[in-house]
Amino acid sequence: MLGRGAAERADTVSERGTAWLLAALLVGQLVLLAVQVPGSGGADNALESFALRVVGPVARAVTGTAASVTGTRQRVRLQADILAENQSLEHEVERLRLELLRLRDIESEMQRLAAALDYAAPPVGRVRAADVVYVDHTSWLRTLVVWVGEGKARPDQPVLAPQGLVGRVVRVAGPYAKVQLVTDRAAAVGALVARTRRQGVARGSGTGALVLDYVPLQVDVRPGDRVLTAGIDGVYPRGIPVGTVVAVEAGGQLFHQIRVAPAVDLGSLDRVYLLEHEPLPSELKETQPGARP
Amino acid sequence: MRALKLGAALAAALLVHLVGSRLWADFPRLVDLFVVVVVLHSLDGETLPGMFGGLAAGLLHDALSGGLYGLYGFADTLVGYGTARLAQRLVIQRSTGVFGVAAFAAAVQQAVLVLLAFLLRTDPGLPQPGGVAVRALICGAAAMAAHLAIRSWHRGVESRRSGRMRRLR
Repeated sequence: MLGRGAAERADTVSERGTAWLLAALLVGQLVLLAVQVPGSGGADNALESFALRVVGPVARAVTGTAASVTGTRQRVRLQADILAENQSLEHEVERLRLELLRLRDIESEMQRLAAALDYAAPPVGRVRAADVVYVDHTSWLRTLVVWVGEGKARPDQPVLAPQGLVGRVVRVAGPYAKVQLVTDRAAAVGALVARTRRQGVARGSGTGALVLDYVPLQVDVRPGDRVLTAGIDGVYPRGIPVGTVVAVEAGGQLFHQIRVAPAVDLGSLDRVYLLEHEPLPSELKETQPGARP
Repeated sequence: MRALKLGAALAAALLVHLVGSRLWADFPRLVDLFVVVVVLHSLDGETLPGMFGGLAAGLLHDALSGGLYGLYGFADTLVGYGTARLAQRLVIQRSTGVFGVAAFAAAVQQAVLVLLAFLLRTDPGLPQPGGVAVRALICGAAAMAAHLAIRSWHRGVESRRSGRMRRLR
């Protein structure tokens, strides 16, 4: 009887110890979460980098296997269509060559005008391809994990697809990088309506669409208008397609409520491009103490 | 041995999660295999391994999801501990019981994630209640299927062993 009582007491003490340990673990994790909140994009997090290094190779192996299986199946299926496709691509190349000639002409004209006005345009960066190894579309969190390879990525680096803006790098772990999509609820992009050049802020709605905020009611915005990056946020350069306006409603008393469909189908990405773009120096991003807005 | 089993289960969950997401974009939204592993791991009523199992599974899941790192870690730690405490008080042996516990655990995990999002983000988006319910039911079904498979494997091993013993006698 005495032995059983002692065992029960020992169990209770052990349960109490576990409860304390649970409390400590939860508090520790809350601290870890709270530390990330102010700079949820750029803060260094060794634990996350470690986990990304563990998960990254598995995701890459799965993607590689899936791609090779799909590739083999597609090679067999598409062999018959290759000739026709080749012919149409030749026509496309012809058309694009002519377009290139026209654009070169416009570029040289612009350079001449810029030289006359003594205007130094910001340099356009080079792009580097990166394979997508994992896409997360769960709830309000939307990210990609990409394999960057030898050349490392850096936080806040813009990520593009041929159709337009994908997002920005938020975490780098060796050859892997985590990319926050423009549709993530925490994502915001300085954007402008191409037709009117009116600037606003495009935010992810978490549902796969974007919302263009701070465009006053008196500004003419119509469904079908193209939205581009404005180059005012210190992260993205100007002129990258963000999306197309799909709905304009009178929101509050001052601003339109504008819904924008992303330019890129973010669900079908298998390769993205990292833009080697010189970021705005961090000291210029912060407001000077005592400065008036 | 327990830690090894947990590691193997998490590796399998990770693999299925990645393959599932590759084949169907909505897969991670509809099922959380990591929480299923946490529930099955905690069903024997030991709180300490349940808690640490939850932490490991959650942090692994966090590496795959966006936003703040540690959201799933926090939620799954609670789920692991809570499931173990529940298993100390209830006898959960039937598969329907496992279904109920896993579905409840998945719903609790979503509730904790929403609560954390409200605490830590200025503008959190709420998941659809219907989506949460479907996710909970699918997690319950996955846990029940896994529980049945493990039990039938154990029975097979046991019957083979007893057959060998009979022949030896």
